[in-house]
Amino acid sequence: MLLFRSEEWVDKWCKRHNLERGEMLSIQQVWELSKLWYGNRMSLEYHGRSMEQVAEIFRQAGLMSKFWYV
Amino acid sequence: MTDNPLLWQTRHFVYAHIAETTRPPRVDETAAHFRISIEEASQLYTELNNRHSFFLEPDTVAIRMANPFSGIPTDFKVHANGKTYFANCAWDMLGIPAALHCDAVIDAVFTESNESVQLEVKDGKVTNGDLLVHFPLAFSHWYDDLVFT
Repeated sequence: MLLFRSEEWVDKWCKRHNLERGEMLSIQQVWELSKLWYGNRMSLEYHGRSMEQVAEIFRQAGLMSKFWYV
Repeated sequence: MTDNPLLWQTRHFVYAHIAETTRPPRVDETAAHFRISIEEASQLYTELNNRHSFFLEPDTVAIRMANPFSGIPTDFKVHANGKTYFANCAWDMLGIPAALHCDAVIDAVFTESNESVQLEVKDGKVTNGDLLVHFPLAFSHWYDDLVFT
């Protein structure tokens, strides 16, 4: 996942690599997703997660488009 | 391997070691910690790699990624708890303070424009909210090529 100053730079990068645009999130959205995704990562009890749990995290983060289908 | 009680203890040890030292433990360090052979520790590393708990360099038992932490230097430096960690990507640079539940100052580099930028996570909030993170691949393809992802 790459950090960009603006959409203009995303388009330049995509054109240079001949790739379609993926999904763009604001730093704030990524921070909210990070807390859900990584908040328990240091715990001994964390053993990975199921696809259902992944889908629930995306739902809680408001990521509902096809891009985030598990 | 499923019932090996050391499996998840090993995962936990790897993460705790990174939090403490900023780098993943070598397999011999993990073997010494649990007083097991290097071969046994290597098997545990391989199993945890297979389960996507962390990711090894190809054909080695060196940890490349224990997300959000990177085992190698990157463009995403996260200063937290008096230490400097490397994150794998623009998501993981925020994943480190999220995992450690702490404030952080992040030195990063913009893709394409190659400019440096500094962000801060403080009291549960992140600065520079107008910056963008581009996810080039849909979730269903994230594990096809993790380095590219």
